[in-house]
Amino acid sequence: MYLRKFGISILGAVAFIFSSLSFADETCMSPYMAKIVGQEDYVYVWTLGVEGLGDEQDKLVTIDVNPKSKTYAKVVSVLSVGGRNEAHHSGLSDDRKYLWAGGLDSNKIFIFDVHSNPRKPTLHKVITDFVEKTGGVVGPHTFYALPGRIMVSGLSNNTDNGGRTALVEYNSKGEFIATHWLPTDGDLRGAKKTGKYADGYGYDVRVQPRRNIMLTSSFTGWSNYMMDFGQMLQDGEAMKRFGNTMVVWDLHSRKPKKVLDVPGAPLEIRCAWGANNNYCFTTTALTSKIWLIYEDDNGEWQGKAVADIGDPAKVPLPVDISITSDDKGLWVDTFMDGKARYFDISDPHNPVQVYEEQIGSQVNMISQSWDGKRAYFSTSLLGNWDKTGEADEQWVKLYDWDENSKELTNKWTIDFYKEKLGRAHQMRFGAYSLYSSTTDNKKAVTLLDK
Amino acid sequence: MMINIFLKCIFFFAFLHPTYANNDLQAERDKIKSERNSLAVGWRDNLDFKLPKPGSYKLYNIRESGNGKVIDEKGKEIYLHDAMKGKITLLSFIYSNCTDTNGCPLATSVFYKIQEKLKNNKKILSKLKMISLSFDPEYDTPEVMSLYGKDLSYIDAEWSFLTTNSMDSLEPILENYDQPVIRKYKNDGSYDGVESHLLRVYLIDDKKLIRNIYNVDFLHPDLLINDIKTLLLNNG
Repeated sequence: MYLRKFGISILGAVAFIFSSLSFADETCMSPYMAKIVGQEDYVYVWTLGVEGLGDEQDKLVTIDVNPKSKTYAKVVSVLSVGGRNEAHHSGLSDDRKYLWAGGLDSNKIFIFDVHSNPRKPTLHKVITDFVEKTGGVVGPHTFYALPGRIMVSGLSNNTDNGGRTALVEYNSKGEFIATHWLPTDGDLRGAKKTGKYADGYGYDVRVQPRRNIMLTSSFTGWSNYMMDFGQMLQDGEAMKRFGNTMVVWDLHSRKPKKVLDVPGAPLEIRCAWGANNNYCFTTTALTSKIWLIYEDDNGEWQGKAVADIGDPAKVPLPVDISITSDDKGLWVDTFMDGKARYFDISDPHNPVQVYEEQIGSQVNMISQSWDGKRAYFSTSLLGNWDKTGEADEQWVKLYDWDENSKELTNKWTIDFYKEKLGRAHQMRFGAYSLYSSTTDNKKAVTLLDK
Repeated sequence: MMINIFLKCIFFFAFLHPTYANNDLQAERDKIKSERNSLAVGWRDNLDFKLPKPGSYKLYNIRESGNGKVIDEKGKEIYLHDAMKGKITLLSFIYSNCTDTNGCPLATSVFYKIQEKLKNNKKILSKLKMISLSFDPEYDTPEVMSLYGKDLSYIDAEWSFLTTNSMDSLEPILENYDQPVIRKYKNDGSYDGVESHLLRVYLIDDKKLIRNIYNVDFLHPDLLINDIKTLLLNNG
């Protein structure tokens, strides 16, 4: 009688129970996205074209990174997009079928199909009306997957080319949904200003859905990021035009709740994975600090500087950061000195640097595997901000990371100038087993809801 | 061991069905509940945050919902849009052999809880349609789907358990909804069922526009009911 009442077959019920007992440890790993928990097959590098080099165009470069492959550590595909756009960041859709990549100058968004043939991506769609559709947002930067959608953070606007900007929401088909402007002194949009600033600037976006929180950081507008770096440093007015805020949003309603002072251009945001770790990290480019954005005991979100990165007086310029999947380690790349620093963040309120390594003359991005054993580094920051002369190295490097001995070991380097590719920027992973499963690959990669 | 598993099955459904009570089983039930609380938010009784007031926020038009031929529990071929009956619709893709706790069982459990929470609110319930559509027609015949849904929808909620007559009928629907599925293939290339899927539930308004998409991080009955109320308020 009960079985009739409960309505589902015993077989199904057994399966339910098995899953709840066997797979519990694999939950709560990642919001939104299918995850490669084993060996990645490819790294996709969104690359800036360089005048006088190769075809001079921006391109998606595919590197074979599976050690079992005959073309391991080789470039296996180059897909040029027909011009230079100030290629910058890229992000995968939640099903990892498409890679969205932006041009900070052209405002174009390129959507690559990376699932039909992961070894040879194709250009699926180009969004060319970003500024028009969004009501004047400029500089599509971060592409962050929400269920069936992509949240794009802007860097600028077409009114003054400054830092005031917005979040823009697209559906998975590449169709515009909505623009969410960041709060300013002139229009706080219901948010509470907690300090000196409400600049409306934008850069990165991350979420913690179980707390219904979305966080944004702030950089600078088109007039600065397209300016020559040395010239900008000498321009006092330009140097005032950097973001000093992070905004805490109500994720579900897309409404800004609170503006936090985080002075010195807070850039990348990385949130903890742990089910009870209600905090995220960022680093400030100009003041060289790690900031912790956390929920306090009263449920209020706060921000505080928790560590210096190198010697802030020397302006090492922290750029990309990467948190380990166990929330115990944070990689921090510093562009000016070309170093990767590893911080023990077991106590998030007191990060301690435990390792550093010279990666090159300049380094920007880092992408690490889920198990933390592999870390890929790339060089380019912005076309007009990269170093010049011999210091302008452009490469992608793979390092093995030994957590026990705290040692990075360089496995290979692909010279993007020698290969006539361009400036290597953001790296994203691909794998065959994201899209179908055979007995050969099903243990390598798991498609997880969390 | 089989007895143990069988007992746990009973406890599982006891949890789904609050009307079923047995004090002797309470400890085991609490254990399962505890395990579930460490899983997706949808397994928890309460959200950890305060929801915005219904109607105080906007649910944007994400895009038009997809259509296609499906088969109801009696084997009758109908269009998916017709199955929505012009009501606010919650659509979930499931399959009966699903073994991912945070997948189909979660979606089915959340739908079940929604109808329970709304059982005294006929006004809302009368404007709501819930659809569980299989993405494994090879195994999920109308008979299987009928069995899967039997007695789950015992309140005045309209909850249909649909399938399709072939992969060819299903694929355009999955493609339209961007419902990712990893299918298993044997080494000889033959089909071996569903390996896993990315859980998605779609909130579709009475004009067949998708107004929200939930995955495992959002799929909680309170949040979905909040959105349903918001749609009703925004529609006047």
